[in-house]
Amino acid sequence: MRDLIDGLLNTTLGLGAPDWLVSLISYVAIVTIIFLVAPFQMLFFTMYERRAIARMQDRIGPNRVGPEGAFQPIADGVKMFTKEDIVPAGADRWVHLLAPCVVVAPTMLLFAVVPWGPGMVPVDLNVGLLFFVAISSISAIGIMMAGWGSNNKFALLGAMRGVAQMISYEIPAVLSLLAAVLLAGSMSLVSLVNLQAGLPFVGMLAGIDLGLGWLIFTPVGFVGAICFFIAALAEGERTPFDIPEADSEIVAGYMTEYSGMKFGLFYLAQYILNFLLCAITATVFLGGWQFPGVNWLYERAISPANPAGNGLFNVLAGVLGVFAFLLKTYLLFYVMIWLRGAFPRLRVDQLMHFGWKFLIPLSLVNILSASLWVACMQWGAEQGMGAIEGWSPWARLALAFVLTFAINLVGYIALVRIQAPTRRRPSRLTGSIAVP
Amino acid sequence: MSIQIQRGKAITVDRRTRKTPMGQGLLRGLGVIWKHWSASFQKNDSYKKIQGTFTIEYPEERRQLPEAYRNMPILLYDEQSGHEFCTSCFQCERICPPQVIHMTQAKDPATGKPVPAVESFEIEYDACMSCGLCAEVCPFEAIKMDHTFELSTHDHPSLTVDKTALNRPTTYYAQIAPRMWEEVKENAYKKLAANMKRRSDLIGIAPQMQEQLREQLARAPQAEPAPEAVASASTTADDKAARLAAIRAANAAKRANSENGQAAQGDATQSADDKAARLAAIRAANAAKRAAQQAQASEAPETAPSESASPADDKAARLAAIRAANAAKRAAQQAQASEAPETAASESTSPADEKAARLAAIRAANAAKRAAAAAEKGQEE
Repeated sequence: MRDLIDGLLNTTLGLGAPDWLVSLISYVAIVTIIFLVAPFQMLFFTMYERRAIARMQDRIGPNRVGPEGAFQPIADGVKMFTKEDIVPAGADRWVHLLAPCVVVAPTMLLFAVVPWGPGMVPVDLNVGLLFFVAISSISAIGIMMAGWGSNNKFALLGAMRGVAQMISYEIPAVLSLLAAVLLAGSMSLVSLVNLQAGLPFVGMLAGIDLGLGWLIFTPVGFVGAICFFIAALAEGERTPFDIPEADSEIVAGYMTEYSGMKFGLFYLAQYILNFLLCAITATVFLGGWQFPGVNWLYERAISPANPAGNGLFNVLAGVLGVFAFLLKTYLLFYVMIWLRGAFPRLRVDQLMHFGWKFLIPLSLVNILSASLWVACMQWGAEQGMGAIEGWSPWARLALAFVLTFAINLVGYIALVRIQAPTRRRPSRLTGSIAVP
Repeated sequence: MSIQIQRGKAITVDRRTRKTPMGQGLLRGLGVIWKHWSASFQKNDSYKKIQGTFTIEYPEERRQLPEAYRNMPILLYDEQSGHEFCTSCFQCERICPPQVIHMTQAKDPATGKPVPAVESFEIEYDACMSCGLCAEVCPFEAIKMDHTFELSTHDHPSLTVDKTALNRPTTYYAQIAPRMWEEVKENAYKKLAANMKRRSDLIGIAPQMQEQLREQLARAPQAEPAPEAVASASTTADDKAARLAAIRAANAAKRANSENGQAAQGDATQSADDKAARLAAIRAANAAKRAAQQAQASEAPETAPSESASPADDKAARLAAIRAANAAKRAAQQAQASEAPETAASESTSPADEKAARLAAIRAANAAKRAAAAAEKGQEE
């Protein structure tokens, strides 16, 4: 974006604008776009989820407002805005007011590192992944504030559950991202996406660049993606793990005492977080904007590597890249809805059991295989891998693939068998009992 | 002492717990949802299927309600005669569990005696529980359950519904519940015919039909003279009386005819029926002739003093007589025609038919006589 603005102001128009002005204009433009896009994503997601889940339940879903119910989220928004804002008696007024803001703000910040398309990243932080993980867990504080400030036992219970769940599931999420980081050798999301170009194997180029070298096609990436996606479900409070707002147990969890637009903000934050979690999963494991054709177009566009490109290719690459990125994101959100349609809610102990005893060990196994992958693919004699130094890249890839696949499969089966519930004895209810 | 209690069978659900549960169950669950999702783009029209969208988008699409669907009670009336089926027998009022039916019986204004008709009828729809007991218990098929269910309103008092709002023509009910109406139709009309005899004037006529009937009555004398070319002002009264007589005679003959027809369904020979009908017709004709003669006779003394007026009167009376005769003839023809197809089935003679025919003839005669009297009276005036 900055390059585009720079090119437009100084090269095309010849204004000779100073560096700081170019930066200011480009960042204001980026922030404006993001702040417009984020709520619309949320509006679209609410509609998307309601229609999709309705289909799964043999219904049609909201289709009365506008064509096929397209304006239903807007109608909901109007309703939210016009509702009375109630603060319960005995509530901690300021904490109650600040909580939704504390929840929403970090989710908005997360947009800073998401690469939408080739050359379309607001800020290419070299610790982008770390930034994402760190900032996304701030909303746990907001949730705790909401629970505490509401002066309501359900709200407090929900908040405690929410925080416990978020902390537990941060670990497998980070560990599974760590595998990807090992493979990329960088925490920058842009470099992670760039790694996933090429054929359906990470970083392998054979003539043409298909943009299909997604991590999910490798055993390491596959297990990592599944672990991360499950952890993302828990962080985004999606249905198998929607314990913090379990309607049937604790009313609406930490949102119980919220009404009007404060509630709307929680809702907004939740859906934007879901969007971002899907987006990050797509970026890290599904290649982000990588798609057949995007790289070919981007090679001909204006970029830091190729300043003499054609602006038209920027637009084309951007459109195709964003299309590919959003397609992957929406498909992942569809999976979230699908899981919601299929599975009931876990109990708190089941959640902890699954997180700590299954997901964390599995992602640790995955880190092991990720390291082996790196060793097989990159290491030479000085790192102790002299035996395979002379092999061709394809042979090394095959070795890495087989090795990591075996390790992950064995690890998974072993964990499953350790966790398998013992067979229950026949019920005492069968047979006859004597009543004195 | 101890009692042995056999507990019920405990159903053991096979959850297929394997030694290595690798998420197969989860995947199977996802598969089920996927099937539902992909099938949901088709309509589920048969209820044997468990997949597909079965939503009926209500205000636009509506399901065909079953005939026996019941929401709120309505009253029926016959839109031909305008008579209500209700006789105010109070059966529904008595059985109504929430006691929301209220009615008063109609009384003959002349005698003050109760008439089998209802004067006012109210149902409190707001408290009605749609049990349908009133419709079940009604022996006259007068109260039936409606299919309308969109009754919500801001106006609470409007839910106390009176007779005018409750009345529906039989065609309406035949439309919403054709088979159920077909079953009870004959019985309903038979009972109504019996009750109609005991109702005089507009008693028992549905409020919405009263207006219409009054209009018909008002229109009749104005409309008829034009084609008849009897343009004398002084004769109208006589004319009317005579015409009335003729109409009554015709009706009587017709009734005789219909009664014949009903009776003939049983077991009457063609000849007997035929004879009876012909007899009735002849008698009616005779009665009409006699009436005409009487009218003439009554006019005779007056011919001398009033020369100018009498020919007209005479003419009117004669005309009436001719009409009566024609009506009788027509009735006889109809009787013949209606009986013709039933000849084969019926073998034995029927005194009942004959009786009915004779009765009709007598009635016709009486009517003619009365007409003559009225004519006389009119002349005297």
